[in-house]
Amino acid sequence: MTPLLTLRGVHKRFGGVHALDGAELTISEPGVVHVLIGQNGSGKSTMLGVLSGQLRVDAGELRLDGQPVRFTSPVAALRHGIAMVSQETAVAPDLTVAENVLLGRGLVRRWSGLSPAATRKRAQEVLARLELDYDPRQLVRDLRPDQRQMVEIARALSTDARILILDEPTSSLTDDEVEGLFGAIRQLKTQGVATVFVSHRLPELFAIGDEVTVLRDGRTVAQAPLAHFDPHSLVEAMVGEIAAREPRQPRGSRPSSRSGRDDAPPALRVRGLEVVGAVRGVDVEVGRGEIVGISGLVGAGRSELLEAIFGVRPLAAGTVELDGAAFAPSAPRDSIQRGLGFLPPDRKTEGLVLGMSVRGNVTMVQTLERARLRSPSSGAETRSAQAACDAMGVKTASLDAPVGSLSGGNQQKVALAKWLARGPRVLLLDEPTRGVDVAAKAEIHEQLRAVAADGVGLLVSSSENEELIELCDRILVMFRGRVVAALETENCSEPELVRLAGGHT
Amino acid sequence: MMVRILGGAWSATSRYRLVLLLVVAMFAAFAITQPEFATATNLKNLLADSSILWIVGMGMTFVLLTGGFDLSVGATSALTGIFVAKVLATGMPGGVALLLAVLFGALIGGLLNGFAVGRLGLSVFVVTLATMTALTGIVNLWAGTDSFLVTAPIVSQLGVDELLGLPTPIWVMAAVFVVALYVQSRTYFGRDVFAIGGSATAARLAGIRVPRTLMLVYAFVGACAALAGVIAVGRVGAATPTVDATLALQAIAAVLLGGTALTGGAGGVTGTAFGVLFIGILQNGLGLAGVSSDWQNVVTGVILVLAVMGDRLRFGGSLRSMLPGRRSLTGPAELS
Ligand SMILES: Nc1ncnc2c1ncn2[C@@H]1O[C@H](COP(=O)(O)OP(=O)(O)OP(=O)(O)O)[C@@H](O)[C@H]1O
Ligand SMILES: [Mg+2]
Repeated sequence: MTPLLTLRGVHKRFGGVHALDGAELTISEPGVVHVLIGQNGSGKSTMLGVLSGQLRVDAGELRLDGQPVRFTSPVAALRHGIAMVSQETAVAPDLTVAENVLLGRGLVRRWSGLSPAATRKRAQEVLARLELDYDPRQLVRDLRPDQRQMVEIARALSTDARILILDEPTSSLTDDEVEGLFGAIRQLKTQGVATVFVSHRLPELFAIGDEVTVLRDGRTVAQAPLAHFDPHSLVEAMVGEIAAREPRQPRGSRPSSRSGRDDAPPALRVRGLEVVGAVRGVDVEVGRGEIVGISGLVGAGRSELLEAIFGVRPLAAGTVELDGAAFAPSAPRDSIQRGLGFLPPDRKTEGLVLGMSVRGNVTMVQTLERARLRSPSSGAETRSAQAACDAMGVKTASLDAPVGSLSGGNQQKVALAKWLARGPRVLLLDEPTRGVDVAAKAEIHEQLRAVAADGVGLLVSSSENEELIELCDRILVMFRGRVVAALETENCSEPELVRLAGGHT
Repeated sequence: MMVRILGGAWSATSRYRLVLLLVVAMFAAFAITQPEFATATNLKNLLADSSILWIVGMGMTFVLLTGGFDLSVGATSALTGIFVAKVLATGMPGGVALLLAVLFGALIGGLLNGFAVGRLGLSVFVVTLATMTALTGIVNLWAGTDSFLVTAPIVSQLGVDELLGLPTPIWVMAAVFVVALYVQSRTYFGRDVFAIGGSATAARLAGIRVPRTLMLVYAFVGACAALAGVIAVGRVGAATPTVDATLALQAIAAVLLGGTALTGGAGGVTGTAFGVLFIGILQNGLGLAGVSSDWQNVVTGVILVLAVMGDRLRFGGSLRSMLPGRRSLTGPAELS
């Protein structure tokens, strides 16, 4: 039987970087869930760009139903039934759900004077395919991020896509939201829509995937039904050597890096913090050298809490102390100078300046106090940027490459490296390893522990409970703006965190 | 080795390669068709005539790099011309008057445009258009319809005299360019400008003083406009109460032609220099060929549209794939 789609011998260069070096991919039949995995920078996003017509290949062959095709643009790919959902949700926030869903259709077909009622009805039909009951009249700006992503998927479906491409759709979703997404994917499966899916979270791959392609350095190193693999052999295929690492011990059983001086004031103390509409009376303490995690659903107020402490969101009430000294959060610059650091969850618009070089991004906060008309010393900058990048394991062609040309996971590492270079006393991290591959994630956790061991207090918000358990000394669970539980990591489990985050006690 | 250096220099021109080639081609074309074009006298004139656009363009580049623009430079320039005429009329020494004029322009730019855009976060378009309108009104109120003959030596020294065989405006252009290039590429301030244009949110979260930087950038373009205004007085020998409303548009066109992104965060003054030369050569050559200044304006308008379209081509979505070999910063590889 001819496979639904085959890509063979794909080569793609960006300047001197060989992003794809003879990669291949085969989607066997309609309705399969095809998992694409590989380490950061292995060429996954590039591959998807090729599939969806956003990138032109240097060489390679694409066959759909056995027929050779060539996409010159995303629209051409759409005409052949291949639709990509970008990670950065490209929904129009001021339009309704219905309008957003049908925008995709407007791309390929003529908009034939639809009445609002008909628009709603059509949108509802598409949403029903995903078993979603969103109100088509609702404005997209009022939706949660995971709901917006669903609208994106619905939009892709409205073009009668046969192959749906999702690049790391789960990287910012909590476990129950991931379940919602998977429900939709399974629904599409019954309708014969194939899905190509990238994720760095292994467990969820096994929950949803049928077949897998493993990329390493731009080459395809394995293609097989997913059932032929277990998590260990999959990582092995990705990394390319026997991953001779010890199985990770949970944080609790390692000697804690917390400093024993109980009389010293904590690095960060927050009392009764309130943010209008988001955080309601939260107390947090982070000792020197301690790593405290915050678990909770999206919308539980985790991000707002961190933003308020850093001074980018006004606090309605509450006090903050740094090393025992009162501190009124007002503006990022002030907070940074008082010893705070903040990694925002969205590296594209908040964490990095994509058009600027790796060097410029990494040294940005470090050099904040330099006289503005002074010249950066290129030698010293290169050394400190290189050191921070090495510590984070950033893979880049050069320090002068624009950060935007790095792969997603490597961008995330640069966003972290920028704070390491500065060396704050308290570091607030929102989704610290979003988009980072499994192997690199373990290394980043190692680095963060080393930072904590130097006496820095870390407050980490993550939608991945597994990450919190692996990284933190203590975990706070938030629900609807309140801290509903505080647990020592050694006696807590993922199911328990999920239960608490859902508001059950 | 030589090849490597040349190759490196060539790839550094990627953002303004098109206009660079156009400048060379157009120069050659006029040199062949117009016998007077490639004479020393004409080329000196060409450069000196371009000095006003050049100096304003340098300041405008910084504003565009932050993601803004300034429509009020023509009015600032005219107002400064009258300001300097009045100051000189009081018998103030020329050097001091020049310094005061530049300061005057910087204050207008920084305190009106810079404050409203940077601190209050108002729309660039509305703010700079309002400043332009208001300043135009002030020019007319202050000067009426009279031109002031200015006889103080400083203005003719700046506008028409020669120094070491070249008209002084050319020396001023070179100085402004060197300062702008240094600030842009060798200082933390220059880096802040790029960071703000790339992502103002990211810059703010990294602790960069966004409002202050913006105020300084608008002050700089104001100072450039003021300096250009003084040179303009020198070249005419009088301060005239007419506002060149097209100066801002021409400067923006030159900056865009030179490869600076309309959305900010990428580009630079070197490209702008070529953008200005392009417009200068075009107008000079057309003038020699007997084309009226009205038609020159039409051509400039068309070029402005082309420059903006070129900006779209470079940074727009679906057209990106049409440009082989260009490194895209927001390409699909970044969707992860
Ligand atoms: N627009 C670009 N310009 C220059 N280099 C690029 C560009 N896009 C990708 N690359 C390079 O191509 C390689 C593959 O990148 P790609 O984004 O495909 O990796 P990925 O597998 O998606 O990684 P991640 O898991 O981190 O998202 C990387 O080395 C990257 O730096
Ligand atoms: Mg990727």
